[in-house]
Amino acid sequence: MIFREVEDRDLVGKARRGDVEAYNRLVSRWEKRLYNYLLKLVGDREDALDLTQEVFLKAYQALKKLEDPSRFAPWLYRIAHNEAYSLLRRRRPEEELDEIAPPWAASRLLPAETALAVAAALRRLPEEQREAVVLKIYEGFKFEEIASILDCPVSTVKSRVYAALDRLKEALAPIRTRGEAG
Amino acid sequence: MSCGQIDWKGYVLGEISHPERKAAEAHAAACSPCREELERLRLTQGLLQSLAEEEIPQRIAFVSDKVLAPSWWARLWQSGPRLGFASAAMLAAAILVHAWVRPPVAIQPPAPDQAAIEAIVEREVARRLDEALARAAAAWEAQEAERRAKLLREVREEFEIRRREERAQIEQAFEVLHKRLNVMHLASAWRAEER
Repeated sequence: MIFREVEDRDLVGKARRGDVEAYNRLVSRWEKRLYNYLLKLVGDREDALDLTQEVFLKAYQALKKLEDPSRFAPWLYRIAHNEAYSLLRRRRPEEELDEIAPPWAASRLLPAETALAVAAALRRLPEEQREAVVLKIYEGFKFEEIASILDCPVSTVKSRVYAALDRLKEALAPIRTRGEAG
Repeated sequence: MSCGQIDWKGYVLGEISHPERKAAEAHAAACSPCREELERLRLTQGLLQSLAEEEIPQRIAFVSDKVLAPSWWARLWQSGPRLGFASAAMLAAAILVHAWVRPPVAIQPPAPDQAAIEAIVEREVARRLDEALARAAAAWEAQEAERRAKLLREVREEFEIRRREERAQIEQAFEVLHKRLNVMHLASAWRAEER
């Protein structure tokens, strides 16, 4: 993953000094990825969009509390993680998440049935494992960065990602087999 | 290096060091089960990464957007010696408000109300009539007062004239009576001498 640490750090510094345009550039840089991360966590486009907006607003308001400006991205994802789990805790009693087809199931890059299977396999993961694998596979963070985002030890992150990979490997085995056969 | 010593998930995820990667690749070249495990992991990772990222449905409101942009006073408040500035600003605002506040100008006149207009006209006519009557009454009273005063002055003057005339008549009568008494007294004296 390319972090563009210098650029993020510089932009954070400028934004802290009141340069609104610098923060706008940070938003432009991270909004799509943050939205997709939140979408994979909460499974609803509208919620993901609202959360993305909320995360950038909270981040702007708390920008001066960021101790290390070069770690803007993990800090931003930490805020997003907290917001997403607040939403999931509120809605959990009302939904059976495993029964809901995720919105990214209809990806045009894969045949529909394959996309459905991959999305369903992700959805069936425990929330902690799903988030860990999303941060690793889709967002490209290092284990140390994920640990700071989730506020847990690196060993915990590693075990969650590895356990998730084992589950996904088993769940997606029929697709791999069919693909290999085809 | 044995199969159990190699972290294939860490290899696929890029979480092992360069020397460890080299050692793992050398092992896989000679170990069929490890090659199969590595292939399964790569395919799994490939399937996961094949899910495309979605475009964000709408752009996130930037902090320069109106809804999020800090107001001019907020930016001023967050800059410099804020307390001093705030005090000066409040004082200036108070002076300006005191000097320039005017009653608000009605942007749109209220819709005409015929009954209300008639009531206003009636009240105005009644008010002017009352004023005219009051003025007439006051003028009449003034004229009457003046007439009474003039009459009183005339009565007093006539009374004074009559009083003076009567006094003169009385004085004249006393003088005549006094002269008659003197005459009588002289006559009486003359008669006594003659005797």
